[in-house]
Amino acid sequence: MSIDRATPAEATQASSSNDSVGDPSASRGIAFRRIEPFLYLLPAVLVFTLFLVAPVAGTVVISTTDWDGIALDSASFVGVQNYIDAFQDSGFWMSLWHNIVLIPYFVILPAVLGLIPAVLVHQLKLRGARLFQAGLFLPYIMPGVLIGVVWRWILNPVFGPVNAALDWVGIDAPSWLGDFTWALPTVGLIGAWAAYGFCYVLFVAGIQKIPTELYEAARLDGAGLWQEVTAVTLPGLRREMAVVLSVNLILALRAFDVIRATTNGGPGDETQVLALFMISAAFNANEVGYGTAIAVLLAVMTLVLSVLVLRLFREADA
Amino acid sequence: MLKRLPVYILLLLGVVIAVVPFLITILASLKTTVELVQGVFLLPEEPQWENYRRAWVDGNFARFFVNSLVVAFGVLIPSIIFSCMAGYAFARYRFRGQSAIFVYLLLGLVVPLQALVIPLFYMMNEIGLLDSLWALILPQIALSMSFGTLLMREAFSSVPKEIVEASVLDGAGSWRILWEIMFPLARPFVGTLSLMFFIWTWNEFLLPLVVNIDPAYQTLPVGLLYFQQRWTSDIPVIAAGATIIFVPITIVFLIFQRQMIEGLTQGAIKG
Repeated sequence: MSIDRATPAEATQASSSNDSVGDPSASRGIAFRRIEPFLYLLPAVLVFTLFLVAPVAGTVVISTTDWDGIALDSASFVGVQNYIDAFQDSGFWMSLWHNIVLIPYFVILPAVLGLIPAVLVHQLKLRGARLFQAGLFLPYIMPGVLIGVVWRWILNPVFGPVNAALDWVGIDAPSWLGDFTWALPTVGLIGAWAAYGFCYVLFVAGIQKIPTELYEAARLDGAGLWQEVTAVTLPGLRREMAVVLSVNLILALRAFDVIRATTNGGPGDETQVLALFMISAAFNANEVGYGTAIAVLLAVMTLVLSVLVLRLFREADA
Repeated sequence: MLKRLPVYILLLLGVVIAVVPFLITILASLKTTVELVQGVFLLPEEPQWENYRRAWVDGNFARFFVNSLVVAFGVLIPSIIFSCMAGYAFARYRFRGQSAIFVYLLLGLVVPLQALVIPLFYMMNEIGLLDSLWALILPQIALSMSFGTLLMREAFSSVPKEIVEASVLDGAGSWRILWEIMFPLARPFVGTLSLMFFIWTWNEFLLPLVVNIDPAYQTLPVGLLYFQQRWTSDIPVIAAGATIIFVPITIVFLIFQRQMIEGLTQGAIKG
């Protein structure tokens, strides 16, 4: 069984062409028939509204107040002041900048590392390439904290094998996650490590969906290997590219688990990112209003960026 | 012309880099601190099971493990039932506000957990659920609704009309049609969805970190973090704790590899 990968927008379009199946309750009253679908929707809508929509609304409301998280009656409406504060806060800009620095590591590097072998496997009609999938995919299913903890010991300057190996070949290695220069790139590389297998698997599946006639036509036109890749494979992978880029872009912006488990923002503030900044504003500094404003900004940024990526690739489609 | 062997080697290298960190973590978990620095691929002279005892008992991993299981199934089962019901409503009925409600439920696909976790803490406090497994279960059911409804609507829409019509003629009510006819036909979808819900819940970190302060109600990822903070330099014990977390996931993954890769590549959209 296979399910088509569908973006929500595409699925919505598909729904309009769906007929309702059968006659739901021929033997029952019209009134009951009218409310029946709503009864089926009730549990999902209820739990969704109470525990997702309500807190999101709460985030927006609280972000317009100066609430300290303790006494509700001490909170007062401050309008967009928290947002103005954020834009004037160097800590906010620094955290955002670190998220941006992570983008090449979280997004571009794994995409390239996944794309190259996927293309080679296809061009050479390599057999048994599926056998490699499970191993490559494994890091992607692991909890971020676990990934952080595993890499923290591997990169440990005293006990870890990486520095031991570098020491053995005569390289004086830095302490990676504890080093002011290396901490952020190291976190980025850990993110790339966790994602490249996922990109590979997605691209391999995408290439298999490209009609072979396109390749035959390209060959008849005298296309070489390189032209085949650029004229057929890459355009054929637009959907997969859009998914990989938007998913990993969102991961870069929301980065939290791995960083919390490896550096917790340090050394100094070298790996401070928005999600950590938000949590510490809300719960350590008791500036809940400010923390929720950061949350709103974070949500809006991920939304805008993923819509942009999806639109970019959809326009290229037309 | 490109040769095949280098590409095989490239792939193999990719697998080695992906898998070796986990393998050497297992090795490290069986060593003494002294053996740890003697060579990363060397086997321990005598496996130090004591590291696991310390993680399981002193590190409270037994508790975290049970909590993780309870939360995973506490989220999984209601999420599947509610997703099936909602998906069924969209696939089988035409009603007022249908597309509006559908879009409303899909909002969850674009809302990051960060956007709701702060008020959740205060909400849970208000309704007396702070420091309980409910504080982890209820929001994660809510977070599952978007992807679940989307997938189950697709699954039920692909069931041939004739099958449903025949059972209507047999006098089956809509509830029976859902669970006795549609649900078994959609089993592959339900399987994939269950795996997704399981892995998302098992791995969730931010939510328990924020809404539960009492370690007695934490799940494995937060437990591992406590653990790392407590035994900072005792790497074999930390490695044992990590192994306790990733071995079960790896086993589940190896059994359900195909569905999981399929599901996660689609579920990627959920983010």
